[in-house]
Amino acid sequence: MSDKKKILIVDDSEMNRALLEDMLSDEYEIIEAENGMEAMAYLHEHELEVRLVLLDIVMPVMDGFETLAMMNKNGWIKSIPVIMISAETAFTYIDRAYGLGAVDYISRPFDERTVRHRVDSNIILAEKHRELSSRLSAEIFEKEKDNRLMIQILSHIVEFRNGESGLHVLHVHAITEQILTALRKKTDAYSLSPKQVSLICNASALHDIGKISIASEILNKPGRLTPEEFDIMKTHTIEGAKMLEDIPMHDNEPLIKTAYEICRWHHERYDGRGYPDGLKGDEIPIAAQVVALADVYDALTSKRVYKPAFTSEKAVEMILNGECGSFNPLLLECLKEIADVLKNELTVISLGNSTDKEIHKSVARTLKTGGSDVSNRTIRLLEHERMKNKILSSLTHDIIFEYSASPEMIVLSEWGADYLGMPVTITDPKENDFGKRLFNPKDFKTLLTALKNTTPDNPSISEKFMLDINGNKTWCKIVANSMWSDTESPEYEGAIGKIVDINDETEELLNLELKANLDSKTGLLNNDAARQHINNALAHSQGKQFALVMFDLDNFKQANDVYGHLFGDEVLEHIAGILKRNIRSSDIAARMGGDEFIVFLDYKGTVEPQIKRIFSRLSGEYKKFPIKISMGVACADKTVTDYDELFAMADKAMYAVKKGGKDAYRYYDESMADITTDRNS
Amino acid sequence: MTVKECYDVMKGDYDDVLSRLRTDERIKKFLLRVVSDPSFANLCDALEQKNLEEAFRAAHTLKGVCKNMSLTGLAYSASNLTEALRGRSDFGEDIEPLFKKVKKDYALTMACIQML
Repeated sequence: MSDKKKILIVDDSEMNRALLEDMLSDEYEIIEAENGMEAMAYLHEHELEVRLVLLDIVMPVMDGFETLAMMNKNGWIKSIPVIMISAETAFTYIDRAYGLGAVDYISRPFDERTVRHRVDSNIILAEKHRELSSRLSAEIFEKEKDNRLMIQILSHIVEFRNGESGLHVLHVHAITEQILTALRKKTDAYSLSPKQVSLICNASALHDIGKISIASEILNKPGRLTPEEFDIMKTHTIEGAKMLEDIPMHDNEPLIKTAYEICRWHHERYDGRGYPDGLKGDEIPIAAQVVALADVYDALTSKRVYKPAFTSEKAVEMILNGECGSFNPLLLECLKEIADVLKNELTVISLGNSTDKEIHKSVARTLKTGGSDVSNRTIRLLEHERMKNKILSSLTHDIIFEYSASPEMIVLSEWGADYLGMPVTITDPKENDFGKRLFNPKDFKTLLTALKNTTPDNPSISEKFMLDINGNKTWCKIVANSMWSDTESPEYEGAIGKIVDINDETEELLNLELKANLDSKTGLLNNDAARQHINNALAHSQGKQFALVMFDLDNFKQANDVYGHLFGDEVLEHIAGILKRNIRSSDIAARMGGDEFIVFLDYKGTVEPQIKRIFSRLSGEYKKFPIKISMGVACADKTVTDYDELFAMADKAMYAVKKGGKDAYRYYDESMADITTDRNS
Repeated sequence: MTVKECYDVMKGDYDDVLSRLRTDERIKKFLLRVVSDPSFANLCDALEQKNLEEAFRAAHTLKGVCKNMSLTGLAYSASNLTEALRGRSDFGEDIEPLFKKVKKDYALTMACIQML
């Protein structure tokens, strides 16, 4: 990898790009793009490496102004300086470019010194900016770390004096955070910002500092407290609040204010029966309500001199039963929801890592709100991740794709691009082979819609599509996860996923399905499948006329008895063979069981010629064995829309043939309505 | 023919280009690239197909290329055509003579460069 800083030159004229490259390439690595779209594709992958963009205005596909607008939309304009290069010198052009965030403007013709100087100085400026902000965030990191450390030291002093391990403070912190997060999802009645949540969590550590003023004989008394002693114990709330109140000059600090509320009122109860002030309902500040609940939960689940540790389930049950006083019903709901998470979380909290974890989180937050600046370390990590990704994806033979919604583009894994015969980066996939040929355009739209309709909590989809891979229709499964911005209200950004060839297994499945529908002896449809197909045909008749033919062999019993079952089977296969040869592809032939068969067909005008033909083809002999059949035919007029009804009619007609001397066919008519066949008796 | 002589014949500004690009060697290198630059061909195609938007872009690019190389004569005629085409949707009488001038200057410029 070259150590030179990268500059992206976006200009449609190759000549211009070459000139600029000639002027800059001794010191910079030059990346060229022919238009804005190509530049977007490159920035999308390498936003953190590009130190500066030289951007032309008049270009095909995506011009310079649109490119600037896109860079604004993606937030790149904040971290990558853009210098406009153009022969346009009209003020309106220049103003518009500056308005969209360009940092400088070089007009053609290029002068080597000017180009060099402006590129150098803008890169240095951007680097200074980057360095300063990373130094600033490091300082915030240190300050935040110190603050937390002080709070922790203070609260641990109290706990150690109290004979506790010091874990209580950490637990209350964790539980408080969980409850508040759940509460924020439930309601905005308490208008809790992320900043306030973190403030309350920090202040929660101080909830018991008043205990420092309680005599240690009372504080650490192993047995039950007398009423007088308990009254003294209760004063830790007011004492703690007083200490905070007395901190000179800082009484307006939000941290102190919140800590005051927590210290004073974390033993108040929702029904007004707590202490010291007997506040009721939402008179108790939400910070104190939440910490009170966290305090109680942790006390229940921890071992104390006077009690064993209860399980998480038991503790939640006791709290819900009101055994520890009454709490805000909303908070109780939150507690129920997070019970499982708490159970796991509290077991992994140890003294060592919790501060680090918290600080990491807060720094991540600071970095995020502080702008788009990324430290060099982050860039290295990212580079590392990308390498890893590349290697991993080259090891699997799946087609991995990354879809970004705006500007629309697909980035394929190298192997995938090779396999599909497509470029790695595909801009505007809807208008390209990717969305038009590989996918059926309708399928592609379905896929994109499905992705867009996912949620950050439930981002996965898995869909089957028939893809056209280099001319071969292939069943593929698309497994993908949508990606969302990491912001307060997440925005859909695109998706990452893979295309897996499942053609063989799908065909296998279709085959199995087909087999399940077939009668094993004759290869005709079986009863169930026939019913399904026929009902389907009747429901979508579109004015067609249908007839159901039912027949059995007059002397089949004899074939079995005299020549044996194997011969009987041969006869059945022979009949099935005749049927298969003598019906049209739209007709349905099935074996109902035994020697009974049906044929379902459509006709125009009269069905007689078809019936006559089937009847005469079936009659005859097989290996000298005479075949005679009794056949009933039922025609579906408009009143018959159901297979079972049609079946009963054909059955009756067949019965009438048998009664009348067999070896014939008859149509069902009204006179047969009252016939009782073996089946319906 | 020296680079300077070449510039004199094709009505370019040698002093200007030298001050910006610094060496004769580099100027020569990029003059040869002007020959293979497609914007003039694009311009001819676009005008033939009466695609005015495309023609504007091509003329604009040609102008930029010429300005970069201080080919003042061709840059001037390309600039006049560019302005006539800017924002145009109908093909007017005025375009043909402007285009003719560009063609003439382009031919001269190419001939000179090829003699280098």
